[in-house]
Amino acid sequence: MDPEAARTARESLDLAFHMSNILDTGLDRHTLSVLIALCDLGLNPEALAAVVKELRREPSVSVPATAPPSFP
Amino acid sequence: MEDEDQQKLTDLVKELVLRLLSHGSPASAPPNPNSPHFQASLRYAVRILSSRLTPSVTPDAAAIAESIKRYLATHGKSSQALTFADLYTKFASKTGPGSVNNKWAVLYLLKIISEDRAKNELDSPSLLPNLESFDAELGDKSRVSQDRENGKMGWDKGVLLVSKDPENLRELAFKGYADLVKEENEVSEEVLVRDVLYACQGIDGKYVKFGTIVDGYILSDIVNVPRATRTMVRKLCELGWLFRKVKGYISESMDRFPAEDVGTVGQAFCAALQDELSEYYKLLAILEAQSMNPIPLVSESANSSNYLTLRRLSVWLAEPLVKMRLMAVLVDKCRVLRGGAMAGAIHLHAQHGDPLVHEFMKRLLTRVCSPMFEMVRSWVLEGELEDIFAEFFIVGQQVKAESLWREGYRLQSAMLPSFISNSLAQRILRTGKSINFLRVCCEDRGWAEAASEAASAAGTTTRRGSLGYGETDALESLIDEAAKRIDRHLLDVMYNRYKFKEHCLAIKRYLLLGQGDFVQYLMDIVWPELSEPANTIGSFKLAGLLESAVRSSNAQYDDPEILDRLRVKMMPHGTGDRGWDVFSLEYDPRVPLDTVFTESVMAKYLRIFNFLWKLRRVEHALIGAWKTMKPNCITSQAFMKLQRAVKVQLLSTLRRCQVLWNEMNHFVTNLQYYIMFEVLEVSWSNFSHEMEVAKDLDDLLSAHEKYLNSILEKSLLGERSQALHKSLFILFDLILRFRSHADRLSEGIHELQARTSESSLASRDKNKSRRRVNDGPSETSSWAADGRKALTQRAGEFLRNMRQDLDSISKEYTSLLEGFLSQLPVQQHVDLKFLMFRLDFTEFYSRLGLNKS
Repeated sequence: MDPEAARTARESLDLAFHMSNILDTGLDRHTLSVLIALCDLGLNPEALAAVVKELRREPSVSVPATAPPSFP
Repeated sequence: MEDEDQQKLTDLVKELVLRLLSHGSPASAPPNPNSPHFQASLRYAVRILSSRLTPSVTPDAAAIAESIKRYLATHGKSSQALTFADLYTKFASKTGPGSVNNKWAVLYLLKIISEDRAKNELDSPSLLPNLESFDAELGDKSRVSQDRENGKMGWDKGVLLVSKDPENLRELAFKGYADLVKEENEVSEEVLVRDVLYACQGIDGKYVKFGTIVDGYILSDIVNVPRATRTMVRKLCELGWLFRKVKGYISESMDRFPAEDVGTVGQAFCAALQDELSEYYKLLAILEAQSMNPIPLVSESANSSNYLTLRRLSVWLAEPLVKMRLMAVLVDKCRVLRGGAMAGAIHLHAQHGDPLVHEFMKRLLTRVCSPMFEMVRSWVLEGELEDIFAEFFIVGQQVKAESLWREGYRLQSAMLPSFISNSLAQRILRTGKSINFLRVCCEDRGWAEAASEAASAAGTTTRRGSLGYGETDALESLIDEAAKRIDRHLLDVMYNRYKFKEHCLAIKRYLLLGQGDFVQYLMDIVWPELSEPANTIGSFKLAGLLESAVRSSNAQYDDPEILDRLRVKMMPHGTGDRGWDVFSLEYDPRVPLDTVFTESVMAKYLRIFNFLWKLRRVEHALIGAWKTMKPNCITSQAFMKLQRAVKVQLLSTLRRCQVLWNEMNHFVTNLQYYIMFEVLEVSWSNFSHEMEVAKDLDDLLSAHEKYLNSILEKSLLGERSQALHKSLFILFDLILRFRSHADRLSEGIHELQARTSESSLASRDKNKSRRRVNDGPSETSSWAADGRKALTQRAGEFLRNMRQDLDSISKEYTSLLEGFLSQLPVQQHVDLKFLMFRLDFTEFYSRLGLNKS
């Protein structure tokens, strides 16, 4: 990535992190960057949010084990 | 690239899971990517990700940002809201490589996560019972469905937070709305639409019925529909009301037709309306077919695109509404009108700027006016008036043949439609009248060719249905052609077959005393007859005298047809009338000339004849007087023998008589000259000039009127010249008296002469006898001497009397003439300056007047 793009990316991330802090999402920078990347790739943000929510829950919640899904 | 992306995806997901798990567990030890927990979580995450691929909100970053701001603001974190706004603008402005492409996704993500967190933090069991009760309260009016995984609602400072859940919120909201709609409307919209369609055809539907008091189609109040629907239904039912009106009119007219109350124009109007209505029915049929499709409510997708709601119906019915309104207005207007008046009223409505209206009215009018145009065509080309229902603007009545032209047909302006101008109507009237006149009075068939020529020249045919509304030019040209040809034909017939000009000339020569030699001879023969009292004169005798007068003058070479018509007329007389007062000549015009020479016209001619005849009589009298005053009667030898005094008296009397005669003769001659030349000849030349240029019979009639009236006026027979006329007649009487006096004078002179010659003869004889017989009787001489003295005395007396009479006559005459002459220049309605000029050429009279005054 050229320095320009890198700078833009960094600034965008900063802004997003700031926003996320205002909204009190509890996401750290790294996680946020991953999420942003996933969004860019076109995943449904609702689904991502659901993933975040689920996986943030107490580990006591059992995760239903099903057949391994395949990506479409 | 796909694979790369896939790989990146997988890596990222792994990374995410890792981080989340590590974040979640407070243990600082990074989780083992190969732990079963991690694997299970990964699998779970993937499952979630693959389950929902489409977002349920529109990808609108700004909207999401707005909602976040609002959320922040309502939570009392307004400063943070501002900050967020600032950040968002900065974030959104970042474009180009390295920036986030799906900004909205990021925002949405943040939003959801924050909401979840907020919700999770507020999770407290104490709220649950409230929530349950709250759910029960809302009941089935809640906008949130019950089957939720996390069907919890949270309260944050008194604001209801609705949870976001996996199910699509919008669809559920719409379903709730649909239930509400069903609740509110007792009647479904489809039923209403069908009812409205029925109403538009004038039929009562299940809920929409015709209210006679309200005079409209209404939805009864008991039916529970929202007001908006009610208003819409009401608006659409206006069409039904209008339709009812139009249909009512049509069926009414159909019923009335056998009673001959509705004419052909009314029928045509009904037919045109029915045509328009059939177009309307077609539209309604299509709409009804569409209305069978169920109307989808908002949540369901339409299975067919052709469904009919009230709104769609109002759009479809907009244009028919306009047309129906027009038809209803026309129906109202034309309810009481018929025939040409109806066509005119509809035409006035057609003067509209809107092209839709204009087209519609034009179509209607073409149908409506076709019977009218048909009538016009048949009238103009054939003279036929087929008008059972009295709708045409020309009415005919039964009259005698001679008044056919003037009174047989006339224009009825009430039935005249407004698109036919008055002058055109006059021409139409005249053309048809001419054809009828030719057919009836002149028994001529030649007009048929003229008519067909006219039709072909105008480009139409003589068949039916070739003219229409909107083709007023064609109509005008047809009428012009027809009028031109038929008028010409009529005038040809009048001039050539019926010799109109010749008859006019004959009237002038005989009734207006134009044929001088004939008149003179007639006067000579008829003079002794007419001096008798009126009741002793036989008309046969007079007819015989007329015949002989004709035969002995140039009149005998005239057309026998003309001479046939000339006869003597004895006017009704009272006692004491002399023949002069009742005698007149008459000319007998027959059909068709009596259109021109009607009774009143002939009466006017009679008046003029009487005047002229009197004038001639006076002239004749004066000439007669002159004959006896010739000098050689007087100068005989007997004259010499008279005594000197007698001689002088005789001479002076004679002189006076002659002077008076001269004056009277001057007056009469000039008056005669004025009448014959300035009045009769001038008027005749004007009239014959106008006869040349006359285009039709109306022109001819008016020219003849003018001719006659000018003669009447100028010969002082008009109404306003009555005073003048009276004084003229007094003068005439005076002149006739003078003639009798002159006669008496000459008789007296003759007697005197005879006596004197007798006495002289006697004396001569006496002398002779004295020579023969010495002792003759002395009585003879004494008798002769006696006779001479008596004679002288008597002569003197006689002459004195005569002179007095003559004086009085002369005085009277002078004063009358002066009066007459003074009145001449004062006349304003007729120009008598030429008469005055002739009578007073030397200004003798005017100077006389001046001297006196």
